[in-house]
Amino acid sequence: MLVPPHGGRLTHRQAMAEEAAELLSRLEDSKALTLNSRERSDLEMIGNGAMSPLEGFMCREDYESVVEAMRLSSGPIWPLPVVFSVKNDDPRVQPGESVALKDESGTIRGEMVVEEIFEADLRHEALETLGTMDTSHPGAAYLNFLSGRYLGGKIRSIRWRDTETFPDYRLDPRETRVLFRAKGWNTVVAFQTRNPIHRAHEYIQKCAMETVDGLLLHPLVGDTKNDDIPADVRMRCYEIILEHYYPPDRVAVSVFPAAMRYAGPREAVFHALLRKNYGCSHFIVGRDHAGVGNFYGTYDAQMIFDRFDRDELGIVPMKFEHAFYCLKCGGMATSKTCPHDSDKHVFLAGRKVRSMLAEGKTPPPEFTRPEVAEVLMRAAGKGDDR
Amino acid sequence: MKGLVIWILRGSESDESVLDELGKEIGDRGGRVEVFHSGTLKNLGMTDNHEAKVAACAMVASHGVVVIASGNKSSGIPSGPELAVREVSMDDLRDEVRRASFMRNLELGGLVPPPRHDVHPDEEKKILARLKELGYLEE
Repeated sequence: MLVPPHGGRLTHRQAMAEEAAELLSRLEDSKALTLNSRERSDLEMIGNGAMSPLEGFMCREDYESVVEAMRLSSGPIWPLPVVFSVKNDDPRVQPGESVALKDESGTIRGEMVVEEIFEADLRHEALETLGTMDTSHPGAAYLNFLSGRYLGGKIRSIRWRDTETFPDYRLDPRETRVLFRAKGWNTVVAFQTRNPIHRAHEYIQKCAMETVDGLLLHPLVGDTKNDDIPADVRMRCYEIILEHYYPPDRVAVSVFPAAMRYAGPREAVFHALLRKNYGCSHFIVGRDHAGVGNFYGTYDAQMIFDRFDRDELGIVPMKFEHAFYCLKCGGMATSKTCPHDSDKHVFLAGRKVRSMLAEGKTPPPEFTRPEVAEVLMRAAGKGDDR
Repeated sequence: MKGLVIWILRGSESDESVLDELGKEIGDRGGRVEVFHSGTLKNLGMTDNHEAKVAACAMVASHGVVVIASGNKSSGIPSGPELAVREVSMDDLRDEVRRASFMRNLELGGLVPPPRHDVHPDEEKKILARLKELGYLEE
């Protein structure tokens, strides 16, 4: 039996087929508000149940409770605000109004029934949720750009399969749950990354696979920093490594359409709870998960899980050290399993790999599988065309 | 959860099993539900007429309960901040598609909890077909 969704029920506020047609026709003459890229991701994930038990963008009570106490006002753990920000050119709306939510291209993505309009202290939000107001932090820079006025209310979303990126890999929580049941998996570990897969990831994933029924590779494909490797390249890396190095009946790959907030420890919990909604019982948490620069301590994203009761979390964090190839051991290891000095360890930071690729140098086989290196080299060769 | 009165317009029919079925469905979802049958008020020693039933329904529902009742004419209870009222015909509830749509709208409005199952059995078949088409599962 799979883990129950967060809050006990999988919400489903995505309008399907006839519902979507009826909704679109009703929204045609409504006022329209514009979703930015993060809000569009959030709308999709509230609608498809990934953010259960949320049914819409947060109102003040939930927002304040989340910022202050990492809980929804009704009690469940919830570490990050999920809010809709009023933009300068948005029309005025009143509580009780039903409004269309459009993306930046003008496509209607859903509806919100406005419950509340409230002012937020964004500096306070930044300090509490990100730990900084420094605008060199991408999350703080995002908040710095907002109006400070939020709209809360229940939503309905519309799924436009024809304009989705990675449509063949885009499974919502209901679909992953059906998939896991069909495969007979009761325990599933989720792995998320915004970086291309390398041997350290592979090692960690396979260590985790020794203890559970299945692995869900769940790369994040929403907004990331500009210098991250593009999602399509990362997906090609996954395809090639799965083909050569993983047992196909024990692994599934699907995309996670969330936008990165770079909120470090809080975002690690957020990512775990959302994976629970996808049906995962375990979640791999590496060092500095969802971190950026030096804003968070090395183990903050792992230690934050200790602040919550394990049963209440409902998903088991699997905490891993950085893995490396040890020349002396002749295999992958971590500081927990290898006694040798660091001069025997082959470990490359993401920054170093990016600069090697830019210089046309192939990362060493101890760091990355040759098939993956080839994909990365090809992508780097395209330069700006990526 | 906000209180709710589901007022079923009977028309010429008086089959109260529809009320019980609806009550069971909402109860199975975890909602607090009270069904008012035609004899309920009488059994409580109260006058059983339209006005008394309407008043009793509104009072019980205002405590966050889903009250299901029926009548030959509209209840006339106004929806407000503490109490929502939805009127529906017996025929609509007998029709599987219209009944599902009615329940879905109550769910989307936050008036009844979502179903306990994560995927409806009918939906599960469609999802399995899509997963096979995408290559996640073998034919």
